[in-house]
Amino acid sequence: MNIIILLVVCAGLVALRFVPKINILGWLAGWWIAVFVFLRWGIDPPLPTSIQGMFVAILTLALLAYLSANSAHFRFVLDRFVAFTTQKKYTIPLLAVIAVLPCLVALRVYFDVTEGPAPPLSSRTIHPPPPTSIEVAGNTIDLVNDDNPYRALETEDPAAFEEHVENGRRVYYENCVYCHGDDMAGDGLFAHGFDPIPANFQDATTIAMLQEGYIFWRIAKGGPGLPSESTPWLSAMPAWEDFLSEEDMWDVTLFLYDFTGHRPRAREDHGGGGDH
Amino acid sequence: MGGVGTIRNNTDIAIRPARRERRAVMRFSRWGAMSCALGACLCIALLPLTVSAQPAPDLGTDEQREAGRLLYMDKCAQCHGETGKGDGVAAPFMRPMPRDFTAGIYKVRTTPSGQLPTDDDLVRVIRDGMPYTGMPAWPQLNDDEIRNLVYYIKTFNDDFSGPYGVPDVVEIPDPPSFSEASAERGRVVYEENQCFDCHGMAGRGDGPSAVTLQEQWGNHIRPADLTKRWTFIGGNTREDIYRTFTTGLDGSPMPSYSITPIEDSWALVDYVYSLSQDEPDYATSATAQYANDPVDPVQGRAAFGEERGAYFPVVGQVIESGRSFMPGVDGIEMKARYNADEIAILLSWHDMSAETMGSNAPDMEVPPTEQVVRDTVTSIWSDAVAIQFPQELAPGGLPYFLFGDARQPVDLWFADLASGEGRSYVGRGSGNLLAGETSPSVRATYEDGAWTAVFTMPRDERFAEDTFVPIAFSVWDGFNDERGNRRGVTGWYYMYLEPSERPSPVMPMLRAAGLTLLVLLSIVGLVRFRHRTSVPA
Ligand code: HEC
Ligand code: HEC
Ligand code: HEC
Repeated sequence: MNIIILLVVCAGLVALRFVPKINILGWLAGWWIAVFVFLRWGIDPPLPTSIQGMFVAILTLALLAYLSANSAHFRFVLDRFVAFTTQKKYTIPLLAVIAVLPCLVALRVYFDVTEGPAPPLSSRTIHPPPPTSIEVAGNTIDLVNDDNPYRALETEDPAAFEEHVENGRRVYYENCVYCHGDDMAGDGLFAHGFDPIPANFQDATTIAMLQEGYIFWRIAKGGPGLPSESTPWLSAMPAWEDFLSEEDMWDVTLFLYDFTGHRPRAREDHGGGGDH
Repeated sequence: MGGVGTIRNNTDIAIRPARRERRAVMRFSRWGAMSCALGACLCIALLPLTVSAQPAPDLGTDEQREAGRLLYMDKCAQCHGETGKGDGVAAPFMRPMPRDFTAGIYKVRTTPSGQLPTDDDLVRVIRDGMPYTGMPAWPQLNDDEIRNLVYYIKTFNDDFSGPYGVPDVVEIPDPPSFSEASAERGRVVYEENQCFDCHGMAGRGDGPSAVTLQEQWGNHIRPADLTKRWTFIGGNTREDIYRTFTTGLDGSPMPSYSITPIEDSWALVDYVYSLSQDEPDYATSATAQYANDPVDPVQGRAAFGEERGAYFPVVGQVIESGRSFMPGVDGIEMKARYNADEIAILLSWHDMSAETMGSNAPDMEVPPTEQVVRDTVTSIWSDAVAIQFPQELAPGGLPYFLFGDARQPVDLWFADLASGEGRSYVGRGSGNLLAGETSPSVRATYEDGAWTAVFTMPRDERFAEDTFVPIAFSVWDGFNDERGNRRGVTGWYYMYLEPSERPSPVMPMLRAAGLTLLVLLSIVGLVRFRHRTSVPA
């Protein structure tokens, strides 16, 4: 979302209110241009052209529907249109429109044909539902009911908890920093080489809305452990069960939350197990 | 010290004696003797600069330093170490190593070589980071936080609080605007000052001394690739480049120069500036063009047209065992041509030195316990490169990008650049590579710091016109002990085979314009007709 464009568009519409004696045609044109400008330049990252085209078509229909809902407005516009096409004083502008419109259409076609096709996009599910249990180094871990075994220490034994977090810090900076970045914003040294880019843990849409069991699953099984709708063939996220002990993986999970200040999502609101 | 520039010294005999002198003994043999001698001359030249009355250094308040310490422990200690010695847990995985702050030696400075940086220099380097090294940028910290960090970092070395705590500042004059003529002249200045000895004739960081350079801290360091200014650690504006060779990068072999007249300094800047673009402009797909005649690999690049190819980022394989934390190659360029029977792909990448002794293969074992290695010339592993395609183009998905998986295999076209011969493999994961049937024919050359390898293969049904074929690359730098899974990798990108007949846009344009015209005319005609009949004369 580009705030500046949004403000300019809104300001334009407000200004339209103060134009003296503006008729319904002016209004419709104003709205059409405003929404078009917003769709084209106001959204970041930009919408694909095909989607933009669809929205513009819907917009045009909506404005036409609005127009025909009021018979006085409709009559007025119709009269103007008939006048434009029939009266002598409009002959030259009419000829200009008839000449220019086909040229614009041809230009558009030219760009479409010469631009060449775009590479296929593969859409992926970022947070697929996790399996109910996973096997890590011969241990079965129940992702529905088991919690981070060291989370309880946070209240029971803060000193021991601190040790686990510190170990998590070591694990993170020895193994994760190249991709997820020193500040966990997903912008490590190698991040630009991967698509999808490494997860940004500072962002509210990653660990902040997930349970620790889910994080553990993602760390242990990585990209190769994802189901097919999450395009595991592209994810560079390593399967850390090959490198790290179970404890290291729970510890680094603690550290992700500790460093970012997020809290893991509690169990109830996931609809899963009942305990807190 | 005539019209040609002189190398100023990296040592600081004049300015910070005894303590620094011991540490600052130049480790890189070639320049050592020469620069010591020059430095002695220079200290005389610099003396007038240093006698001006010195204000007391700004060390911040206790609160500021304490705030800086807390931030440092949270954000910096994992690399720079709790005691500032550059020995944090992440340090073994970085090249160059995180800085040892107790040494008081800094690269990015507006102060003469051998002096400490100003506070503003430190603020800047912390905020902007050092691209393509382990040192990240910190745009998320506010000015006060960065200032506090600077005050804290300064406590690691006593010189900051002593008489050297207020360094001299080298004025950087306003740059004249860039001109081709000046860049042209700059080439001569570049040669006169023997920048090529480290940076190479084409500036790709492949000079004759490149393989032997060492940092202050004993590790090998690669000269910057001047054709990729987005990787410059001290920034890539023309002022930055001027500052880099005027003040030098202390602690690294990059010397400081005083190049006179000033026009020649800017000419050198313009020359370096003219060697590259601002941004890498990484591509996501490359186009293979149709050519009637088969590509002649002997012609190399010339057979593929002049324009820059698609440039893809290469990063370390840090996902599976045999991890490569400091890949020797950071990008690869690709171009392609095809005809009815053949497809030819040109790959080109910059490499500081060609390793053509020894051998290499994608399935070589790398012991998981092997220490992380830093650049060494061992001549055991040669340079190598590979292209990867899915064996079949399934609509549902792609093979795993690291040499495929059991479900979907990949074809690997591999070239060991020692023998120069091509091989092919079928990959079902990096632990499962089998020899393939047809080997690609490969022709590779190394020139001025760049490898160019042309692969030619019979064109099978995968490479149909007007299709996007997924493609990925691996590069091995033998100098860096890369082989097997220790390599530079890319993710999946695409190669588009441009149709042999480009459809002409004229017919579709005419058709669309004609249709529009027809619609307009019929609307106007209809309205006029109805109007005439409804309004009685
Ligand atoms: C080679 C780069 C790389 C390394 C190293 C890496 N990751 Fe990842 N990670 C990724 C990528 C790419 C994604 C996003 C794609 C995905 O979800 O699989 C990701 C996703 C994740 C996720 C899922 C976040 C979410 O919102 O679903 C977690 C958790 C995670 N990484 C933790 C870690 C931890 C902990 C480490 C270190 C032990 C680590 N990663 C090391 C590349 C990496
Ligand atoms: C992920 C590892 C990492 C982290 C985290 C990190 N640094 Fe660095 N830093 C490095 C490396 C590596 C270098 C050396 C780069 C080089 O020499 O090219 C460096 C160099 C420096 C330098 C020397 C600049 C110069 O001009 O020579 C300063 C100052 C610095 N870091 C400050 C900081 C501060 C302050 C923080 C915390 C906010 C920090 N660093 C966090 C890795 C790191
Ligand atoms: C003794 C070898 C040597 C010579 C001679 C040398 N350089 Fe360098 N130069 C280096 C090294 C090594 C680096 C990389 C330092 C680093 O990354 O810490 C470097 C880096 C650079 C950079 C990049 C700075 C940055 O911000 O990353 C520029 C620009 C540069 N040199 C220009 C020159 C010019 C111009 C000359 C000749 C006047 C020259 N160098 C001569 C070794 C040398």
